[in-house]
Amino acid sequence: MSAAAPAHDHGHGHHDDHAHAHPTGLKRWLFTTNHKDIGTLYLWFSLAMFFMGGTMALLIRAELFKPGLQFLNPEFFNSLTTVHGLVMVFGAIMPAWVGFANWLIPMQIGAADMAFPRMNNWSFYLVVPAAILLVASFFVPGGAAASGWTLYPPLIIQQGIAVDMTILAVHILGASSIMGSINIITTILNLRAPGMTLMKMPLFVWTWLITAYLLIAVMPVLAGAVTMLLTDRHFGTSFFNAAGGGDPTMFMHIFWFFGHPEVYIMILPAFGVVSAIIPAFARKPLFGYASMVYATASIAILSFIVWGHHMFTVGMPAAGNLFFMYATMLIAVPTGVKIFNWIATMWKGSMTFETPMLFSIGFLCLFTIGGFSGLVLAITPVDITLHNTYYVVAHFHYVLVSGALFSIFAGVYFWLPKWTGNMYNEKLGKLHFWLSVIGFNLAFFPQHFLGLAGMPRRIPDYALQFAEWNMWSSIGAFIFGFSQLLFLYNVIECIRSNRKSEQMPWEGADSLEWTHLPTPAPYHTFETAPVIK
Amino acid sequence: MHAFKAVLWSFLGVRRKDEYEADTRRLTPQAVIAAGLVAAALFVLALYGVVQLVTR
Repeated sequence: MSAAAPAHDHGHGHHDDHAHAHPTGLKRWLFTTNHKDIGTLYLWFSLAMFFMGGTMALLIRAELFKPGLQFLNPEFFNSLTTVHGLVMVFGAIMPAWVGFANWLIPMQIGAADMAFPRMNNWSFYLVVPAAILLVASFFVPGGAAASGWTLYPPLIIQQGIAVDMTILAVHILGASSIMGSINIITTILNLRAPGMTLMKMPLFVWTWLITAYLLIAVMPVLAGAVTMLLTDRHFGTSFFNAAGGGDPTMFMHIFWFFGHPEVYIMILPAFGVVSAIIPAFARKPLFGYASMVYATASIAILSFIVWGHHMFTVGMPAAGNLFFMYATMLIAVPTGVKIFNWIATMWKGSMTFETPMLFSIGFLCLFTIGGFSGLVLAITPVDITLHNTYYVVAHFHYVLVSGALFSIFAGVYFWLPKWTGNMYNEKLGKLHFWLSVIGFNLAFFPQHFLGLAGMPRRIPDYALQFAEWNMWSSIGAFIFGFSQLLFLYNVIECIRSNRKSEQMPWEGADSLEWTHLPTPAPYHTFETAPVIK
Repeated sequence: MHAFKAVLWSFLGVRRKDEYEADTRRLTPQAVIAAGLVAAALFVLALYGVVQLVTR
């Protein structure tokens, strides 16, 4: 990639701001078709949902601080675990990645904007009513959906109107995701600057290209599953009702055919972000760029043939269990390649440890733990013992919190100077990292022990032998939860501060947004496409 | 054939630098996608074969 000095002639920032006056205030944000504005909207939305889902998590952990029922009735507790999962997956992590995609993909490939700017606006404004439906479902008769985020029948068939609200929310979010994906794929394939061949694209663009295909493949599957739930509930069908000739197990197959690629939808962009940050702070090019691209594609393909590992206990034939066990274990190969490539990138690099790098290394260490516990769970006989225990809860939080969320933090700290023009407070950033990493491990590592000892998930009360580790887990969760207020403060303080960022705050960064654009990035960028050598 | 070779290496997730550079010159995205789909189907069949062997 070209390492030319920032070419301000490509920016046209101030000139254009005067030439085409854009609306300000509420109108700017409502009608915007600018990829940066829409990226900002997505990021703030996901932060709000993150705090919403986080509050639910803290209510759950407050209840589990000691045995017995403290504050919550069991039905409400079940609603909290359900909506916490849905809000974090569909409201926090996924929109955060779409926010990153909006901000970064056009700038990283030298495009002026996304391919379909109006559809981009519509994609965002669809997620808002979906979020409102999810949160409002707490206040309708019967309370919010309480079946777990997987919405398994027959439990989900029996509940009140909140389930219909949840189904509608899932439909809307799916439509939004599909539109977003079409936009991202078209942008990447058609709007690259001259000379920006596919194999010159930054890894973040690659990972999002593959993620977008995954989304298009699996979102309609989820939509089909929840539509069948809806007709089972209201229109007399029996897709999942054994009494009417249906099969609840079929829902699980359909749901997890969506659900497993969904995990990769949340984690592949994280791989892209970390692949941008580690080389920048090791001051070395990414080791094995091509193998990273190949491994990402490989993981995406494998993600479609492993769904059965979520349901080893439902009574599949031994051949089915073995197939899914083997296929699942094989995913460790391309994932391991990535981990080794990141380590090789750091090897003998001139490393410094600013906040983005700290979160990236945190990601690397902790995501690997989540990967290993995934391998443990991939072994069918072990999974049959650990299924629905806290071991599973620990595993997927290591993958999704220290995997996806930590890399979102890393990315925010890395690109905040580019987005805002100001430098964040490094000391506060590091404090945020250390409190997060300590709180996170204290919250979730003991859950491995609880699971191995047999504590089931999704219960508001538990046997006395689980008391000690639950207490520590709750303390860790509160440290982790409240330290996120520091993140919020840090972001707002950065936006409002006068600490102007240097043009290149990270000397090792080499993608177009750093090398070809001023800091902060002007409202319109790359109206004339750069030529990449 | 070259597309199949590239796809099979991609299943492992690694590729030699000179071969990768040759790939970028001689392969088209269509060939890679077609080879990828066929290789994925063969992979599933191979796994199925192993499972049949083990459970016999």
